[in-house]
This record gives sequence, C-alpha cells and structure tokens, in this order.
Amino acid sequence: MAMGTKANVSGQAYAFMAMTPVRPGEEDALSTYLRGLYAAGPSPFERLPRTHLARFVIVPDFHNDRSWKQRREEHLDVHYLIFTSNLDGDLDSYLDELCRELAPEAEQIWGRCIGCPEQASGDALKRYLKHNQIDTGIFFAAYPDATTTKVKRSLRNREQMIEFARTSQGLDAAALQQRFLREFGDGS
Amino acid sequence: MSAPATPAAPITATGTASRNVAGQAIAITVFSTIRPLVNLLAPIPGRIFLPLLFFLTRSFPKLTGTLRQLSFIHFARWCVISELPYNGPPQRKGKLRYQHMYFESNFNGGWEEYIDAFSHILARGMTAFWGTSYGFPKPLPTAPFKRYIQDNEVEADHYYSAYPEATSTMIQRAIVLDAKLDALKRDAAKLEPEAFAAAYRRFLTDVQHCL
Repeated sequence: MAMGTKANVSGQAYAFMAMTPVRPGEEDALSTYLRGLYAAGPSPFERLPRTHLARFVIVPDFHNDRSWKQRREEHLDVHYLIFTSNLDGDLDSYLDELCRELAPEAEQIWGRCIGCPEQASGDALKRYLKHNQIDTGIFFAAYPDATTTKVKRSLRNREQMIEFARTSQGLDAAALQQRFLREFGDGS
Repeated sequence: MSAPATPAAPITATGTASRNVAGQAIAITVFSTIRPLVNLLAPIPGRIFLPLLFFLTRSFPKLTGTLRQLSFIHFARWCVISELPYNGPPQRKGKLRYQHMYFESNFNGGWEEYIDAFSHILARGMTAFWGTSYGFPKPLPTAPFKRYIQDNEVEADHYYSAYPEATSTMIQRAIVLDAKLDALKRDAAKLEPEAFAAAYRRFLTDVQHCL
C-alpha cells in the first residue's frame, strides 16, 4: 500500500485491487455465488467493456508453515474477498460503470462484506471500493496502450487477414486490389 | 492457504484448477509473508528492499524487459500489504504483524511451464521479489519452488477474460499487424493494381510473423 497511484498505471491500463472483509457466516454463500456466476450466464464483466481480465478470490487465511521458521504465526481475523481488474482508462469512471452495471451482483458479493453500504450500488459502493483499494507496487502490462476494443478489433482483423491471405492466392493484381478494398475498405 | 472455505477444484490439463482458467487465460494468485529481518537470500529487510525494488523497476522499464520476453503474460502485479483498510467490527483494526506480498498473473499456457519459465529465465528476478519472503526456496531447482508457489496460491472463485480465445502472443502480434494493415488500407485505393499487388506482397512478407 501507499505506493502512490502512479504504480497502478501502465500505459492506458489501470490495475485495481480491493480487499474487503467477509462477514463471518457468509463465506460459503459468497463462494457458492461467485463460483456459480458462469453457470448463471455470461460473466457480469461482459457488461463492463473496459475490463481486460478480472478475478474474485476469497482468501481464508495466510499460509503459516513451521518449517519456514516464521517467528510468530499470522492469521487473518476474517475471510477476505479480493477483487482485481485490469482495466482501460481512469479508475473513477470505471467504478461508476461498475457500481451501476453490476448493482444486481454487487448486492450478492460486496453486500456480504463488513462495512458495505446497505444499498450496494452507486456512489456509496464506489466509496466503499475505493476505501478498500490496495495500491500496486509493480504493474506489468504486455500491451499497455491497447484498450479491450483495440485488442478485439486487432484480433478480428488478424483472423480476417489470415483468411484473406489464404483465399486470395492466384488472383491477378486488379482482382486482388478490388477484393482487398471490398473486405478491408480504404482506411477512410 | 491453510483453511480453504470449500474443497479445491480438480486440476485441469493446464496444471491448475478449472476456476483459474478462462479460455486460454490462466490466473495465478499468490500471497507470501515477508521476513522482517535479513537472511542469506535477502541481505536487506523486505520493508526497505521491496519498495526500493518496486521504485527502480518502475523507473527503469528496461528492468522488465525479460518479463516482456516471456510473451505468454498478459498482465501481472506485485503489491506489498502492511495494513488492511478498516471497515468496522468484527474486523480487527491495526497493522498486520508482518508485511505480505500479493502477486497475481494472467498468462496462457500451462501452470508448470509458466513456473519453469519464471525459474529459469527470471531466476535473479524471482530471488529479488521473493527472497525476502518466508519459505522461499530459491527458484532453482524448480520442484521446491513449485511446491512453494502451490502452498501459497489461492484459487480464484470467478475469473474473467474479455478475449478468452486469445493468447498474449496472438494479441501482441495482432496489434502489430493492425498498424501495418491500417497503412496498407490508407494506400490501397490510391495505387494502381500492379503497385498495390507489390505493396501487398511486401506487407505479407513484413507481417508473416504476425499471422
């Protein structure tokens, strides 16, 4: 923590992490809910198009191993929910979108955490998530300047180009150009 | 971790639990406890060394050059946690006894191959990052290091990728290709057919490593 917000940024990408304490007795219900999200349909993150990769992890405790000669064991007082997202652009507007679009799920997720506002949505949820933010020490992004939109477009174009290269072999120059312009446009 | 809420998910062909997998992408989440004092692997205490390491790594991007060569990583992060934000009872208030390091990575390929690559290619880097943590066995040989990571790993309860079909390498190549394709598109309508065909052939030669 306290590394400063710059460390959360690489290019246009932002690394967000919130670590919230789970209310005792709610651990299994929260875990079951999160693990059931895929079976319930597309991931809720599909509604947050600025999300590259995101995860929910419930941490039950720190690992203590006597053979490591740790002088004293350390245990978490309650289970903690970690939410991390690798997102496009600035955090504030992303959290605005999250607190609006994920409101139905937020009630079931952060609503099971200590200190979460009664209505787990909007500005109150945003303040809660920011209060529980853990700053990054080092953030590595392999394609830091590419938004999700850019990544998806590039992947589509790559597939299209592979198909074009495969199927345009043997065309004469005029036919090749016509087909290229038909499929890819003239860049305008 | 020592007290999982529910039983661990079965290990998949990727070498990790199915909940850590989103198409091609694999999540790894690791906590380790930082030693307050020095040891042979870490002659400077973690509370001093790690902020310095993080600062230097951020200030000199060349230091992450090797990480960038490991083209199967999408995003990774390291955080040092000294205190957890307080939200009221029954949460305990105050600093943690030890600092803890949080590491997460989003990569593609297999779990074993990922750790192998880290151990062999980034041996010094791994020692720098985890040398101050309790129980870190050195990155080589890999078997004890893998056990160490497994002991400290937490499975995801939900993992999402916006482009599950894509590897990091595919994405990086697609971005390079896209920029060159944009240039060809801009010229395509202005060129005579023969000149376009020659430009297209040059383009294909130029981007063949991206296809």
